[in-house]
Amino acid sequence: MTGRNLKGISKYKKIYAAVISIFVFLCIWQLAVMFTDVGIVMVGPIEVIKLFFVSMVKPIGHDTIQMHIVWSLSRVMTGFVIGSALGVVLGILMGWFRPMNALFRPIYEIIRPIPPIAWIPLSIVWFGIGEPSKYFIIFLAAFSAITMNAFAGVRAVDPELIGAARMLGANNRQVFTTIVLPSCVPHIFAGLQIAIGSSWATVVAAEMVRASQGVGWVIIRGQDSNSTVQIMVGIVAVGIVGFALAVLMRWIEAKLCAWNVRGR
Amino acid sequence: MSETIVKVNHMTKKFGDLLVLDDVSFDVKKGEFLCIVGPTGCGKTTFLNCITKLYEPTAGEILINDKPVNLKEDNIAYIFQEYSTMSWLTVEQNVAFGLEIKKKPKDFIKQEVDEVLEMVGLTKYRDYYPSELSTSMLQRVVIARAFAVKPQLLLMDEPYGQLDVELRFRLEDELLNLWRKTGTTVIFITHNIEEAVYLSQNILVLTNKPTTIKAKLENDLPFPRNVTSPEFIDIRSKVTDLIKWW
Amino acid sequence: MSKEMIICDNVSKTFETSRGDVNVIGNVSLTVNENELLVLFGPGQCGKSTLLNCMSGLERVTTGSVTINGRTIDSPGPDRGVVYQRTALFPWLTVMGNVEYGPKVRGMSKSERREKAQYYINLVGLEGFENSYPNQLSGGMQQRVGIARAYCNEPDVLFMDEPFGHLDAQTRYLMQEDLIKIWEKEKRTVVFVTNNIEEAVYLADRIAVLTNCPTTVKTEYEINLPRPRDYIDPEFLRLREEISSVVDKAL
Repeated sequence: MTGRNLKGISKYKKIYAAVISIFVFLCIWQLAVMFTDVGIVMVGPIEVIKLFFVSMVKPIGHDTIQMHIVWSLSRVMTGFVIGSALGVVLGILMGWFRPMNALFRPIYEIIRPIPPIAWIPLSIVWFGIGEPSKYFIIFLAAFSAITMNAFAGVRAVDPELIGAARMLGANNRQVFTTIVLPSCVPHIFAGLQIAIGSSWATVVAAEMVRASQGVGWVIIRGQDSNSTVQIMVGIVAVGIVGFALAVLMRWIEAKLCAWNVRGR
Repeated sequence: MSETIVKVNHMTKKFGDLLVLDDVSFDVKKGEFLCIVGPTGCGKTTFLNCITKLYEPTAGEILINDKPVNLKEDNIAYIFQEYSTMSWLTVEQNVAFGLEIKKKPKDFIKQEVDEVLEMVGLTKYRDYYPSELSTSMLQRVVIARAFAVKPQLLLMDEPYGQLDVELRFRLEDELLNLWRKTGTTVIFITHNIEEAVYLSQNILVLTNKPTTIKAKLENDLPFPRNVTSPEFIDIRSKVTDLIKWW
Repeated sequence: MSKEMIICDNVSKTFETSRGDVNVIGNVSLTVNENELLVLFGPGQCGKSTLLNCMSGLERVTTGSVTINGRTIDSPGPDRGVVYQRTALFPWLTVMGNVEYGPKVRGMSKSERREKAQYYINLVGLEGFENSYPNQLSGGMQQRVGIARAYCNEPDVLFMDEPFGHLDAQTRYLMQEDLIKIWEKEKRTVVFVTNNIEEAVYLADRIAVLTNCPTTVKTEYEINLPRPRDYIDPEFLRLREEISSVVDKAL
């Protein structure tokens, strides 16, 4: 009751509050840089924002900042799409067919806790220093989150709904396609949400290790050339894009799962 | 007995342009058992939330003992439909909870809790955890917790709505017993007309939204009441006619 | 004498749990006649729903047998419809999608099943809500969808498992009145589970009073009051008192 109430009142107030909080944060940052020792190790937001806009026309390395973002995004999307597709299939199969679970679960459980970036050296050995090694790492990042969620989604299907469908005459295949699959869509979306976040984090890490473009490269290049401003520009780009991706995913979910409260 | 404890004056609530409560006024006397009934979807939740100050009324005021409601000072207890006990506390600790928040002395709490546990018949179960109890026992814990603080006013929002009829009857009787023993003032909100007629001394009938008071009926049938007696049926039909939408 | 539709013959049900076997249904023999509205009435957590599930085929009996129209029931099937307390509507389907689900999975052509679904949607009074999702409807309306969905398969028997248990007292009266209207228009054999005595007396042709776990049939009452019934009719109230006094107290 209280929650609904808060939500109702503050749609605009929330945006308002967000703008104010960011603005205040930037002010404090700027003042700290101007008047305290923080200025020795950091640059102020005004400078960062300035360089950000400058780099939209004047390239860092070979590309403008938006092209770096596009590079990173294209890597994320390739790995993410393949990882999600395979993750959804494997997760659902593991959830629905017990033998599949018995077979794949142990391998999966061992691979899952390994952070994707731990694979960077190996993937370079396997796939070289080009794009495929980055796709592979992002694939791993997306795959593990989605498999888990798709699996949990199948397991969480309300048995009463399955009973109701059987009672109405559905056979096994129909129960699977008309009840189990739609039921786990919200779970899969929760997984996609996590996966897009960790994919984005992973691409930045991968680019910091080996690349000649992309936002991760912008950051590491800034370090090499002792340019704190450029590092900050890279970080800001990472933050903005990460946020935009999360918002986009939520929006798609709300469109596709109008029936579900989670999607609201 | 005729001292007024709650006074609601011209309470009005709007959400934007939507008028939900329209100029509601009524009094509750000390020790009174008042039932509020209205059609499904009438603004009874808003009504309650205004009394409990979850919402600020758009206009009008609610006075307790001639002063505006102050949740810190006024001793008001609530029992809602989604009655909740704290699962990590024993029955005794649950019942003592309200008193401990009010920082009462230890031996005073002990004495009060003993007394109220005895009244609802939970003495034997004082060291049990809620998960070990049946629905009816849980209901009693909730009741005991509310009565333990010796509230000036007890607000109940459809507490027995989802229960078995048999169980409901029993808990209603227990509630009436406690009410008589303690002299607590009770406002009881329900959809169930029979329940309202069974419990109340006065019945406030609400209209559909925007909610106003349609009627206030006095119900002076002697306790214990018999739901099959002609007098009972007479009042029940009267209230039903005032509400009936189905 | 009307035709015997459902026959429960010495049915018992025992669940195996980690704490040992739990006997939920004692030894129930029960007959339901064609187009009869039988109410299973009993206290709190007794095995009412389990008995209903055994009759519908959702659960298997441990001993004894259930036959419907002479056929032994051991698995779910579309000749039986179920209306659930928690509605069990498919939340990703619209009202139309839910109601036409049964005919659809059984392979009926689109135009035919749409027509049929529309008929039952109208019957339960949900015209104009065909494209709404369940979470956009009130509790009472969701239950109407459940009733239409069960009816739309045109089953021989309808099982209703406390369908109005979560509704408020007034909406409940409305649903009870409407259920009787629907049933009188489209007669089916109905087995209705409730723990509400007022509801039982209002709806039933016959009430089977069940005992607490393990559930057995304690006694049966024929209810011969004319319909529509009046909740405050003296005879109604007398029956209500009489039957309540027989039932086991819930713990």
